Amino acid sequence: MTRAPQQDDGALQPFERVRAYVDAKQGGDPNFADVVALAEITADSMQAFFATINVSVYRELREIADYITTMRSEIALLRAGELKESRLPSAGQHLGAIVVATEEATNRIMECAEAMLAGADKDDAAYKALVSDKAMEIFEACSFQDLTGQRIARVIETLEHIEQRVGRFAAAVNPGGEPGEVAEDAREVRARELMLNGPQAAGSGIDQNDIDALMANG
Amino acid sequence: MAIDHSMPVLIVDDYKTMLRIIRNLLKQIGFEDVDEAADGSEALGKMRDKRYGLVISDWNMEPMTGIELLREVRSDEKLGRTPFIMVTAESKTENVIAAKKAGVNNYIVKPFNAETLKSKISAVFGE
Repeated sequence: MTRAPQQDDGALQPFERVRAYVDAKQGGDPNFADVVALAEITADSMQAFFATINVSVYRELREIADYITTMRSEIALLRAGELKESRLPSAGQHLGAIVVATEEATNRIMECAEAMLAGADKDDAAYKALVSDKAMEIFEACSFQDLTGQRIARVIETLEHIEQRVGRFAAAVNPGGEPGEVAEDAREVRARELMLNGPQAAGSGIDQNDIDALMANG
Repeated sequence: MAIDHSMPVLIVDDYKTMLRIIRNLLKQIGFEDVDEAADGSEALGKMRDKRYGLVISDWNMEPMTGIELLREVRSDEKLGRTPFIMVTAESKTENVIAAKKAGVNNYIVKPFNAETLKSKISAVFGE
């Protein structure tokens, strides 16, 4: 039988009664009454002991149960099913559509530019007509920005939604605690070592003038 | 030193649109012999087959990044002196310093215009 944590010595005192009784009866022939008495003392001792560990174990189990209940609520609030089945696939589709749309528009714009460059040797009237046509096509192609802007807004909305839910869950799991350190995976290590930072937000990176200054300084 | 516009130029970027843009800009400047590679390892292969007068490379590519390509080129006995310009969205100071340390001749941050490309190429060749 294991002792309950932080069990005080008062819980051992009942067993001392057992020891004391056995010591007192040593040397003599125990009779039936002695055995009954010993059984009663032992039962009393065990009851006292169990009473002590029951309270502390019960308290700990209760805390664990409450924690599990809280976690279940927080996990339910994550609505991971909705994220997985609906929001994330939708965001992925939007991003895919953005890539396609921007590529199509860019190709169309560059084709127009190439056509204008190639038409430089035409006579003035023909060239003017060509440039006019192609300029209109470029304007049309630029309309992609409106749609991609809307798609990006949807994706941002999904990400904010996820951020909110995950943040809430993290706070529930570790209230007031320091964020745990997560080990980098191989991709993250490579990105850090090769400085794959990607485009910076406005104001975060340095501009061409700063770069020129860095390159010029021996 | 006057730029020899007939020299072959290798442009390296994993984004086809960017390759097309740079090719067109180089054409405007007068460079006609322009080859393309989608990442550093493809570029290195091409450089071992053909002597290029200039390499213009992006940074963020896989499986070999632009900085890895630059380091490989500079450590190669035959390729080591090839003029190398980094054209990239990587705009942190640490990137520029690392590229300079690795031996880049010039560094252009995206987005850029034709005038910037032209002036940085000219600077590499001392014009």
